[in-house]
Amino acid sequence: MSEPKRGVKADRAGDGFWAGLALPGVVWLCVFFLLPFYVVLCVALGSVDPILLTPRPEWNPLEWNTSAFEFVFDGLFTPGAAFETVFVRTFFYVAIATTLSLLIAYPVAYYVARYGGRWKGLLLMGLIAPFFISYLMRMLAWINLLQDDGWVNKVLIWLGILDAPHNWLDGRASSVILGLVYGYVPFMILPLYAFLDRIDRRLLEAARDLGASPFEAFRMVTLPLSMPAILAGIAIIALPMFGDYYTPDLLSGAPQTSLIGNQINLYIRGGQQEPVGAALVVALMLFLTVLMGYYLYATVRSQRRLGG
Amino acid sequence: MTLHPRESRYGRPEFLRRSAAGLVGLSSLSTLLAACGGSNNAEFTPPELKLASPDNPVTQPLFDDNPAIASGLDPENGTLRIYNWNGYLDPKIKKGFAKEYGVKVEETFFNTTDEAVQKISSGAIDYDVFFPTEDRVGRLILGKRLQPLNLDYVPNLKNVWPSFQDPWYDKGSRYTVPYMTWTTGIGYRADKIQKTPLDYANPYEIYWDEANRGKTYLLDDSRDAPAHMLLKNGITNINTEDPKDIALAKNELKSLIGAVNIKLSTDDYTNVPEGKAWVHQMWSGSAVSAQWYLPEGLGTDALGYWFPADGHGTIGSDMMAIPKNAKNPVLAHHFLNYLLDNKNGYSNFTNYVGYQPPLKSLDPDKLVSDGVVPPSLKTAIVRESDFDRGFAITELTPTGQADWLNAWAEFKAGV
Repeated sequence: MSEPKRGVKADRAGDGFWAGLALPGVVWLCVFFLLPFYVVLCVALGSVDPILLTPRPEWNPLEWNTSAFEFVFDGLFTPGAAFETVFVRTFFYVAIATTLSLLIAYPVAYYVARYGGRWKGLLLMGLIAPFFISYLMRMLAWINLLQDDGWVNKVLIWLGILDAPHNWLDGRASSVILGLVYGYVPFMILPLYAFLDRIDRRLLEAARDLGASPFEAFRMVTLPLSMPAILAGIAIIALPMFGDYYTPDLLSGAPQTSLIGNQINLYIRGGQQEPVGAALVVALMLFLTVLMGYYLYATVRSQRRLGG
Repeated sequence: MTLHPRESRYGRPEFLRRSAAGLVGLSSLSTLLAACGGSNNAEFTPPELKLASPDNPVTQPLFDDNPAIASGLDPENGTLRIYNWNGYLDPKIKKGFAKEYGVKVEETFFNTTDEAVQKISSGAIDYDVFFPTEDRVGRLILGKRLQPLNLDYVPNLKNVWPSFQDPWYDKGSRYTVPYMTWTTGIGYRADKIQKTPLDYANPYEIYWDEANRGKTYLLDDSRDAPAHMLLKNGITNINTEDPKDIALAKNELKSLIGAVNIKLSTDDYTNVPEGKAWVHQMWSGSAVSAQWYLPEGLGTDALGYWFPADGHGTIGSDMMAIPKNAKNPVLAHHFLNYLLDNKNGYSNFTNYVGYQPPLKSLDPDKLVSDGVVPPSLKTAIVRESDFDRGFAITELTPTGQADWLNAWAEFKAGV
């Protein structure tokens, strides 16, 4: 009976060691996430300096001043108010852009994973290569492509689809959504590829043996199996899209396509009401936390359903 | 009340104690301490800001604990650190100064005044030269973030227009010396648009011309853009805080979304020559520099700049100052003097920046014949007399500032 005991002891010692491995991550999280988040919170709940009008964070929770939050929540829950309009618009843009990204990324990832063969690495490399260039540069490139005498107009006119150059940059939602899709789609392809590549082919063979058509096999085996990857891809690209402000700035610059990130940028950098900007940040984070919570819940559920 | 010693009701020791308490109360560290201790700094009443305007000139207060440097000191030989807008200083000027004084010159850029004021206000960074604007300098002085100048080091101040040696925002040039001047008008592509601003009885109406849909821009600036909306409606007090005026300007701005898909940018100096914009609210200095960004084969006749002929338009200037915690204050004074030199100021303007320094030696009438400003842009030239008739954007009360910013945010939300 002494042997299992020793085993338990060894395990405990091992626990300490393995838990220790998490230490850098925990420290990182505290220093670079929790602490900054508390500072943002204290700015949102603080005041401004009476002379310089710069933010004066309030560190003591007992002295917190909620006026900025009242202003923000009032605006977020009043239909037709600025914050509400921008928030709803942001939600729709992100939803559309994420759906389009998924529709583009899934077939691409599927093709590379299933039919890439020995070209797999090269194909993946080719897909990712343009994204070594910074996001900003790629958006600036789109400006050149979409401008009046840009290639998009030239090609469309040459094909006879357009008679005269179309002003793609005059503040239309489609250009902004295009920018978002183009900017984030590789981050959708990668998790999907990684997951699809690992799906056991024998499961598909079994499905076919049992009489499923190729489409049924995809619908009933591949798709449910790749659900966690789809959710991960959505989470990875939707979260940064919610905070995006330079895509609409560059590809539109018009008020009717501005996103919640633009309002945050305006209040944080363009005036003397930083607490309002900080409160907007916190409100957005609360919303994203709910989305993330759903993501975690859905992943756990789908894994349990698969018996994982 | 203000804490200026000569106006203080208290004796000097009392004044010093209180101003020291005030200083401590300002720093965020002590806010933290005070907050932790559960106490507050209610005994400290912040000094009131005098809102300066051309009709209401302000002599900025001096503080005992913020003295100017003594005369006759040798310039330091450290690295001169400049904090400036991007593209607002000719690199050749930096090189020339570095060579003359045997020092290094390092420039850091900011994008908006707000961003810069925040960093300077934090007191945590030690730039030697900073470029504030008329509507923000008062608070920086009151918050003791700038040091008073010792004008013994800046004899070239005599080179600038007399009114700028004693400007309304800083009588007697106690903290600042002028840098550049400009007007805010309407830039346009004469080769693209059918009706120029001059074809309208009310030239500001051009922003609503549907022929320029998707090609009409306003400056992305919460004060400059609404100012043109007010002027269109004959409201010349562009610093109004009347909620009715603010609502009017906001609704005018909003109506531009439906009318022309209005766009916002501060890259006026490239948007117009590159053809992104046909009509663009524009700073005069950007109009002058736009000629350098024209694509090949396009002459300067393609550019136009409108500013009211009677001078009743938006006008402004900015300045140079030395932050309180500058590491090289003597060298910084020399740099200010260097930029106010007639030759340096002229070459900085004509070779790189495009914004016009208020130098007496610079003859506005000769700028066209000297080839500095193309004839099509001669309205972009600023004259000293323009400042008698133009309207300056000035500091607002915190409430007024918040009201304007919220109106601007609502417009930018595209409601």
